[in-house]
Amino acid sequence: MLAQTEMGGRDFIQFGGQAIGVVTRESPAIHGQDLTEGYLTQPIVMGQLSPWGEVFSLKTTLDFEGATLKRGELNAGITGEGYIDRRHPHTYLHELLLTSAKRFGMNSVSGASVTVGKGFAPFGTDDPMARPFEKYPINHHLSQILERAVAIGALRAGSWTFEAGAFNGDEPTAPGDTPNRDRYWDSWSGRVTYLPWRQGEIQTSYARVKSPENASGGGSDQRKQSASIRLEDVQHTGYALFEWSRTGDYVGSTRTFTFNSLLAETWAKYDQVSGALRIERTERPDEQRLGNEFRTPLPSSDLSIAGRSRWTIITARIATALTSSRNFAAEPFVEVARARVSPTLQPSGFDPRQFYGSSQIWSISVGAKVAFGMTHMRMGRYGVAVAEQPEGKMGGMNMEGM
Amino acid sequence: MKLRSGLASRRAASLVSALLVVACGSDNTVNPPRGSAALATLGDGIVAERYTAEIYVRGYYAYTTTWQFRQAPGNAVKIWNVAGDTPVLIDSVIVDNARTLGDIQTSDDGQLLIVATEFSPGSIMIYSLADPTKPQLISRYTTPLTDPGVHTAEVQRVNGRLYAFLCIDPASGTPARLVIVDISDPTTPQQVFTAQMGSPYVHDVYVRDGILITALWNQGITLWDIGGGGSGGSISNPIPLGNVVTVGGQAHNVWWFHNAATGEKRFAFVGQEGPGVIGASSSGDIHVVDVSNFSAPREVAFYHLDGAGTHNFSVDETRGILYAAYYNGGVRAIDVSGDLSSCDPADKSADGRCDLAKMGRELAHGPVDRGAVYIWGVQLLNGHVYASDMLNGIWKLNPVP
Repeated sequence: MLAQTEMGGRDFIQFGGQAIGVVTRESPAIHGQDLTEGYLTQPIVMGQLSPWGEVFSLKTTLDFEGATLKRGELNAGITGEGYIDRRHPHTYLHELLLTSAKRFGMNSVSGASVTVGKGFAPFGTDDPMARPFEKYPINHHLSQILERAVAIGALRAGSWTFEAGAFNGDEPTAPGDTPNRDRYWDSWSGRVTYLPWRQGEIQTSYARVKSPENASGGGSDQRKQSASIRLEDVQHTGYALFEWSRTGDYVGSTRTFTFNSLLAETWAKYDQVSGALRIERTERPDEQRLGNEFRTPLPSSDLSIAGRSRWTIITARIATALTSSRNFAAEPFVEVARARVSPTLQPSGFDPRQFYGSSQIWSISVGAKVAFGMTHMRMGRYGVAVAEQPEGKMGGMNMEGM
Repeated sequence: MKLRSGLASRRAASLVSALLVVACGSDNTVNPPRGSAALATLGDGIVAERYTAEIYVRGYYAYTTTWQFRQAPGNAVKIWNVAGDTPVLIDSVIVDNARTLGDIQTSDDGQLLIVATEFSPGSIMIYSLADPTKPQLISRYTTPLTDPGVHTAEVQRVNGRLYAFLCIDPASGTPARLVIVDISDPTTPQQVFTAQMGSPYVHDVYVRDGILITALWNQGITLWDIGGGGSGGSISNPIPLGNVVTVGGQAHNVWWFHNAATGEKRFAFVGQEGPGVIGASSSGDIHVVDVSNFSAPREVAFYHLDGAGTHNFSVDETRGILYAAYYNGGVRAIDVSGDLSSCDPADKSADGRCDLAKMGRELAHGPVDRGAVYIWGVQLLNGHVYASDMLNGIWKLNPVP
C-alpha cells in the first residue's frame, strides 16, 4: 500500500492497484483460425478519501486499458462499444464519485446517501472486474450500466435498500471519451435490494437507457431488467451468484429486439487455492463488422441487426495465491472456457458456424494477477447501498483474485 | 477483375446451400392481402456464398453487389446476363479493401459503373463499361469525409454534368453527411458540395428536374433546389425548399413520381426502414408525400404490410405501378395511379392519411412459393422486374399483367 493512514479506526485514505498479465488462446477465433494473444488487462489504480467518514467520501478508479488493450481482449461472444468477440477497453476515468451518507442512528445500518460523479448506474449486479474470473461474462452490457455521469440517491431501511439514479444514456465510444453533456440525465434506473441475512443479497432492478449505441442520439432505446441472488459466506471463502437479465431495444414505444441472459457462478477457496465455475447462457445481437472483423460500426448504419445468436459458455478457473499480505498479492490462474453458439433466427445475415468455422469455441487463458494496497471493492454500489456495516472496512469481498 | 470459377463442386455446394435456405424456410411469414396476384417468376440466379445487396440492370446485363460475410466477404460485384429468363452469372469483380458493397448504378449513357463501399475506407469505385461484361476500374474516390463509409451513391446528370451523390455513414463523433462529387471526368472526381445532414442518418437521395430530395431518417425528407427550384440553388449550393417528417421517421429512400399518363408530378414515395433482422424480419411503411408545393410537402397516404418492411423502389410511371422491395415480404406491386390523397373515410387511418392497403391497391407480389426471400432492390426494365435477394441472389419476374 503506497499511502494509507488510520483515523479513528477508519481509513482516511486508501489506495491500491492491480493488473493481470494473461495469454489467451481461442480455437477457433475467426474463420476457423486459432488466435493466441497476450495482454496486460485490467490495469487499474483505485483510491478512496474519507476525511469525515461517511459524511463526505471521494472514490476513484483509473483504468489504463486504453493504453494496454486498444485492440480489445479475445472474449468469444462478448459485444459492446464497437467491439465484438473482443472485450472493449474501459475509459481511463472508470469511476470518480462524491458520496455523502447519513446513518439514522449510532451503529445503525439504516441511512440515506447521495452520490454524484462518473460511475455505475444503480442497476444489475457487480462489475465483472470485481468477480472471480479474468474473462468477462458476455452479458456485461445486459447486466451492468457503467461509466456514466450519475446522480444517485440511496435509502437503506434495515434489510432493504432502495436506489434511484439518473445518468447519460450514451455508451463511451473510446477510452478517452467522456459522457456527452447534452445527454446528462436522459436515462434513469432503480434498484431494490433485500438482505435476508448478512451474507445474502437479493436484488431486482430496472433501467431506461436512451440511445446507448448512438452517442449523438436517435438510436434505439433500451429497457433493461435484472434480478439476482448473491451469497457469500462469513469467512469470505465461498461465493455464488445467480443472475437473470434482459434488455429490450425500443424504437419509440415499439419493442424491436429482446436479449436475455442467465448466469450462475460460484467460487470457493481452500487454503491458498481457489476454484471457480461459471455457466452462462446469453443472447446477443450480431452486428455488421468492419474491415477489422472484431469491430462493429459505431453507431450502426441503421436500426437493423445482421442476426441474433445464443451463447452457452461454461468457464472453469483455478488459481493459487502465491503471496498474500496486507499490501501485496500475486495469484497465478488458469481459465478454460467452452462456448457453444447457435443462431436464434434462420435464415439471417449472420451464421456463426460460417463465421467462426465451428459452433464450438474453446478458450484457455493462463496468467497472473498482482494487486497491492486496498482490497478491490465490489463495484457498482455507492453510499448506504454498499452491503456492509458502517463500522466495517471498505465494502467488498476480501477474496484474493477478485 | 477475377473471372468466376466454374468448378462444378463449388456450384454444387452453392446450390445445396441455397436449397437448404429454401427448405428451412423463414420464421417470418408474410401473408399477401386479398386480391394480390402472384408475379410470375421467370428465373433466378443463385448466389449462395455471399449475401446479395443492390441490383442495377442496363440492357442485357445486371450488376449486383454483396454484403458483409457469408461464406465469403461482401466484396464482389457480380455481372449477369439477363437476356434469357434465367439470369446467368458471367463474371465477378472483387473490390479490394471493402467489407460491404451497397449501391450500384450505371451512368445514364452506360459508360460508367459506380459502386459504393462500406465501411472505412468508404469510397466509390468508378469502372468503365466499355465492355459491359468486364468492368475496368478507372478510379477509386475516397477522402477523409467519405472514410466512415458510403452508404448509397446516386448517380445523376445535372445540367449536362454527371454527379454522384454520396450518403456518408455517421461515425463516432462524426455526424452523417452528404457529399456531391462531379464524376464527369471519372479519372479525377471532384467534390462540389458537402454538408452534415440527417438525424442520425442520411440514407439516400433522389434527383430529378433540378430538385434534390434527401432522406434524412428522423428528420423526414428535405427538398432542395439544385437548379430546378427557381430559388437560385445549384449543385454546389443547394437551397432547402421544404421539409416534412414522415410518420415514424426512419426515412430511407425516395422516388418522385412523374405520372406519364397525366403529366402530374405531385407525389413522392418515401421508404421507411424500420428495425429488422437481416434475412428474417423487417419493418417500415411506404409514405406518400404530396410535393406539389415544394415549400410545404405533406404526407397524404401510406402503405403498410404486416410482417415486413420496405426498402428500395422502382416505378412504372406509364402504368402507375410502384414496385417496392419488401425484404422478407418479397416484391410488392402497388397501384399508385390517381389521387392518392383521396379515399373513402373507411380507408383512412386515424390521422387522416389514406391507407393504400385498405384501398386494395396492392396488385401483385412475388416471388411466390420459392421459400424464404429477403429482397433488397428491385428494378423494372424493358418489361421485366428484376429483384436482388440477400438470401438467394437474383430473380427475374414478369410485371403486373
